Amino acid sequence: MLTIHHPKAASAHHTVRALLVVGLVLFFVASPLAQNLPDVTAMSVEDLMNVQVTSVSKRTQKLADAAAAIFVITQEDIRRSGATSIPEALRMVPGLQVARIDENKWAISSRGFNGRFANKLLVLIDGRSVYTPLFSGVYWNIQDVMLEDVDRIEVIRGPGATLWGANAVNGVINIITKPAKSTQSALATAGGGTETRGFGSVRYGGRLNTGSYYRAYAKYFNVGPSIDPSTGRRADDNWDALRGGFRTDWTPAGADSLTVQGDIHRSGYGETLTVPTLNAPYSSTFPNKGSISGGNLLGRWNHAFANSSTSLQMYYDRTNITENSLFTDHQDIFDIDFQHTFHAGESQEIVWGLGYRSSRDGNDSSFAVSLQPNHLTLNQFSAFAQDEISLFDKRLRITLGSKFEHNGFTGFEVQPNARLLWTITRNQTVWTAVSRAARTPALTEEGLRLNSAVVPPGTPQNPTPFPALISVFGSHQFKSEDLLAYEAGYRVQVNSNFSADIAVFYNHYTHLRTAEPGAPFLEVNPAPVHIVAPFVAGNKMSGGTYGSELFADWRVLPKWRLLSSYSYLQMDIRKDPSSLDPTADDPGLVSPRHQFYVRSSIDLPRHFEHDFDVRYTDRLPGLNIPSYYSLDTHLGWRPRTGLELSVGSQNLLDKRHLEFVPDFITTSPTEVKRTFYGSVTWRFE
Amino acid sequence: MRLLRLLITIAIVILPSLGLQAHAQDSSVSSEYLIKAGFIYNFANLVQWPVNAFAQPDSPIVIGILGEDPFGTVLDRVLAGKRVNGRIFLVKRLKSIVDLKECQILFVSSSEIAHSTEAIHLVKGMPILTIGEIPGFAKRGGIINLVLEDNKVHFEVNVEAAKEADLTISSRLLALARIVQDPIADGKKTQ
Repeated sequence: MLTIHHPKAASAHHTVRALLVVGLVLFFVASPLAQNLPDVTAMSVEDLMNVQVTSVSKRTQKLADAAAAIFVITQEDIRRSGATSIPEALRMVPGLQVARIDENKWAISSRGFNGRFANKLLVLIDGRSVYTPLFSGVYWNIQDVMLEDVDRIEVIRGPGATLWGANAVNGVINIITKPAKSTQSALATAGGGTETRGFGSVRYGGRLNTGSYYRAYAKYFNVGPSIDPSTGRRADDNWDALRGGFRTDWTPAGADSLTVQGDIHRSGYGETLTVPTLNAPYSSTFPNKGSISGGNLLGRWNHAFANSSTSLQMYYDRTNITENSLFTDHQDIFDIDFQHTFHAGESQEIVWGLGYRSSRDGNDSSFAVSLQPNHLTLNQFSAFAQDEISLFDKRLRITLGSKFEHNGFTGFEVQPNARLLWTITRNQTVWTAVSRAARTPALTEEGLRLNSAVVPPGTPQNPTPFPALISVFGSHQFKSEDLLAYEAGYRVQVNSNFSADIAVFYNHYTHLRTAEPGAPFLEVNPAPVHIVAPFVAGNKMSGGTYGSELFADWRVLPKWRLLSSYSYLQMDIRKDPSSLDPTADDPGLVSPRHQFYVRSSIDLPRHFEHDFDVRYTDRLPGLNIPSYYSLDTHLGWRPRTGLELSVGSQNLLDKRHLEFVPDFITTSPTEVKRTFYGSVTWRFE
Repeated sequence: MRLLRLLITIAIVILPSLGLQAHAQDSSVSSEYLIKAGFIYNFANLVQWPVNAFAQPDSPIVIGILGEDPFGTVLDRVLAGKRVNGRIFLVKRLKSIVDLKECQILFVSSSEIAHSTEAIHLVKGMPILTIGEIPGFAKRGGIINLVLEDNKVHFEVNVEAAKEADLTISSRLLALARIVQDPIADGKKTQ
């Protein structure tokens, strides 16, 4: 399964083998204990109410019901993995590619096509879509929540376009925070380490009156610079962020519930930026600092009737990217969604909905990056309907649905899907699905001009006396990228201690983005006179990707849990014969073919707990990045109720390694270091 | 260097597991459904059924599980050999709604989120203790709803619904419960 390309990887290979041996030995020594259940009938109700429980049920329940490749990260998973940010938590999900570019930039995608500006993944935080219309992707350094308040993160690989809409092409990440009722205590955390130099957060929850609860939080962190591999010195990729927010849930009478929540944030980041210049030495590299601020406000009203329910949600979201020398942007998004679920007869559940979204963009350009027009408002209308039909005593469920969406660039997009879920026995399900999804054009694909490099005059590549400026242009002819996806999966709950899940897929893409060369022209402004070699966004790439993802959750002992996953991805994406795109752009070379993940979580006596996880990521030949293993560990201790101390380390296996390289905007990638951290969490009533 | 790394790794993996074996019984964290099974046993003890709820004085207490069974074998194992007022327990996984009526305890699993109101309606007025784990279950007429809060199991009791079912809930249990009312009763109060 694994090919060793790198001497470093070879020693890690031994390490993993050793881990497996140790794990097996431990299992045989300790397995007789697995049969004993503590006698809970001897406990009083008061005692039972004081036991901390671990819940694996949410994962399995959710899993058993969905005709899709779904993975649920629970609060317990986040806490035990020692993850301090959303991207770190996502590293455990099979089928996702998660790579850090520098301390404040990430490349995250599902089933391939990874990059800093990856554009086929939809991310929602409490129902609020956080993708930016600038590039149809996610600024991961803007998205954050109070991790202790996260209820779960649902990750759906594969198209989710019918329910969630355009850009849910290769996956949907749904970050769901707990209701205010479940966070009715005060909580404070503080800590620091060799990477995140300091972090702290506070949250307070309370009750306003019968049926209405609230919470408010604030958090801050400061991440120190990493290492620039080209110089071996400290990089400029510092990052600090301050964020605060609230949530109130109000249930006036049994049938209604109202949620109002909001956040504000401000962060500062650094990077080493390289931009082209028209005079010798034709490029300039300098530390660039920027700041991002913004806020959002969301309201949701649910009403339950006897046999149906409705939901109305509205939000406003503002993002300002300012104070940097590359590109500044102000984004205002307003979104309203209505949804109605009802039962038609014994066996049908119908969901339909309507949505409207307006995004207003205003930007200021630099020589390197400009976006036309400077001010633009986009309106998008959508409707969807889905019917879930249960047959044969609910053992067979057929889901048919489609989304209809109208956007300002490509007009109507129809995104249907058909899904089938068959419950073979109480513990086994199989599912299959066919769906169409579209990735609609982003603002940049319509109106961008990115000056990416200058070829100096009088060189073999440019014999003219003028500097040649290589520029990437958006185009109004740019169409949506299309996907037709075929998926299937099988899930089994062997017993209460072991469950496993496998998903396979074949995705066929058409009209994928290329950069088609145009006729060079002379430009006098800005001086000096230069030749522009244009590359214009086209839709001349297509092909298939296929792969599979395996996941197993094994409670070896009541106090020892092993989670493991393996992901395989093969991409055969080719430029169409009519494409003249000369770049060696092959998405298959920047996505790892093999990935695996193993996590061990052990509950120890005296309220200690210990976790470690091992990850393997295959090499990325397109970026010259060798395969790597990484090992993270976490030790937690709860000396008394409400107090938790943690120490941990990340990337124990090597001093530092590179995970990814940025595309489009030339910032210096930095290495992921071996780091150590410690933290204290205190909860009090 | 390579050897050192290997030793560190093994130490990290082995040291905690030595402790694991020594204290496998020490319990601060348990699986959710083990604890919920403990709750169900306690509820059976602290709820009194009318005489007509059982066919015979020694009939078992039948627990019906509606929807996907989240307990696995845990509930059967916890209740094996246990008796309440001389009655043993019998756990049934319900295949059809008709079987609902033969239970004394009906556990509505969270997979039935869309059909819980239906189930509550069907057993309304019968001496059946409905236990759910669905938001709003007790509010909509279920008798007991188990709720997870900060990783602990709490429970809500709808006293009106218990009265309608002719079940007597001990005051000890009520003192620990969060009392809820269904919206109609709520509305009456505020008017």
